[in-house]
Amino acid sequence: MWNPHEPLSAGTRRALGAVGLIIALLLWSGGNLMIDKGDYFLPAPWTVAAKLLSMLQAEGSLNLLTAVGWSLRRVLIAMVLVVGVGVPVGVLMGSSPRINAVLSPLVDPMRSAPIVAVLPIIVLWFGIEETAKVVFLWLGAAVFLIPMVRDAVVAVAREHLILAEDLGATPLEAIRHSVLPLAMPRIFDAIIVAVSIEWTYITVAEYVNAKAGLGYLIQTSKRLSANDGVFAGILVILLLALITDQVLKRLKRRLFPWEGEA
Amino acid sequence: MKIEVNQAVQEYPAPNGDGINRVLDGIDLTLDGGINMLLGPSGCGKSTLLKLMGGVRPLGVVSPTSGEVLIDGKPATGSHDDVVMVFQRYLNRPDLTVRENVAFPFRFKLWRDKVPVAERNERVDEMLEAVGLADKGSHRPSQLSGGQNQRVALARALVLRPKILLADEPFGALDAQIRAEMQQLLIDLIDKYPTNVVFVTHDITEALLLGDRVIVLSTPPANVADDIAIAEPRPRSENWLRSTEATRLSDRIIDLLRGHGPGTGGQVRVTV
Repeated sequence: MWNPHEPLSAGTRRALGAVGLIIALLLWSGGNLMIDKGDYFLPAPWTVAAKLLSMLQAEGSLNLLTAVGWSLRRVLIAMVLVVGVGVPVGVLMGSSPRINAVLSPLVDPMRSAPIVAVLPIIVLWFGIEETAKVVFLWLGAAVFLIPMVRDAVVAVAREHLILAEDLGATPLEAIRHSVLPLAMPRIFDAIIVAVSIEWTYITVAEYVNAKAGLGYLIQTSKRLSANDGVFAGILVILLLALITDQVLKRLKRRLFPWEGEA
Repeated sequence: MKIEVNQAVQEYPAPNGDGINRVLDGIDLTLDGGINMLLGPSGCGKSTLLKLMGGVRPLGVVSPTSGEVLIDGKPATGSHDDVVMVFQRYLNRPDLTVRENVAFPFRFKLWRDKVPVAERNERVDEMLEAVGLADKGSHRPSQLSGGQNQRVALARALVLRPKILLADEPFGALDAQIRAEMQQLLIDLIDKYPTNVVFVTHDITEALLLGDRVIVLSTPPANVADDIAIAEPRPRSENWLRSTEATRLSDRIIDLLRGHGPGTGGQVRVTV
């Protein structure tokens, strides 16, 4: 029990995970039954489940699948853009201490910046339609992705660079053939984190001029004091984040089966 | 091919705060052929000296701080086509096959321009054969043992047919039996592909088994404490290692490293 390296079989791990979920459901149900006005403060699991079913049949923007489609679309677009910009910038910063010295005062403090407070400015600059939402998601994830990619590049042992230099590689060839391939698994980890950060920001992004999406569903439910809808929306976001995380982790194992063997 | 080290001084900024660490203290050395062992205590600057010969810039500081290192009369700055290094770490790309790792230098323009495609493949086949990995070409480094990985690294270096091979404790991470195999392999490879070797080690036995010359460096700031020629032909046997000649050399080196011997003796205070 108290051995940090105890090997767990897949079956044991799943069973224990199920135990955790069941405990959470029991506490949740118990809370609902014991609290005064429980259906308002803590709608029961079965109420939320019923709500989810009814949301599946709802019309227009209130339909669950429509909302998931919109949110997924925004997250994926922002992901493509954040990878497209964040990975090259991070690689440049990691490859050149000079570029890092220029950019790091701009990038590093942004990790603790109140991104949500920037939202009004993004609305001011990019309007209230799709662009602003994607820019907001992009910014929220990019400020984390860029430094992580930089660190992944710096973490490659400098002996690999010395070898490449000795074999006659130009500096760019050394980065392309010796540094990047070795940094790729950690860069991919950074992308996984960036996408999960986008999921945490999706509701905020969809609060502004919300017409569709999971954030819109949650906000609408809240306005109607239908807290079962709020819980349902949160659960769906958690589920989607879990699925993207698992898909990306599988993809990573497929792409870099040699990781950890270097 | 001749390596000349003239009054080479190497200094680094001290790691904590200001001040300067002098690693090499005006080394004078001429190496001309054969297997040359650079022997010295850990951290004595023998790797730094090797990197100077390889023309790679350790720590990115000006190297050498003063003096010069010449390969065939030309400064050993930047990558030198005729000089190739191998390291203690194999530095094989884990995502590439053994074959692709041996062919790794041909990813760089310098060597793509120098060696035509057909010849590259021939050389790679030949090297895989020479290091005994002909049947492992499509394996990945993680499927190989440490010794086999170092074979890949040796093949990756010798596929370029260097005139000088610089080896930085290449067998330091291997256990005794594998190390002996690798030493024998190195001797065989050098017979086949005549190459001058500069081989850094802190293992006296390894120096005696392999070297035509054993250059003993003192503790930092390093200087040449002794320069020993060994005429005994290779491969040298266990019996020779126990001979009067070999034990006398070994004692002399141990004395030097402990700081009782000739040369810059007084500065050497190291327990081996």
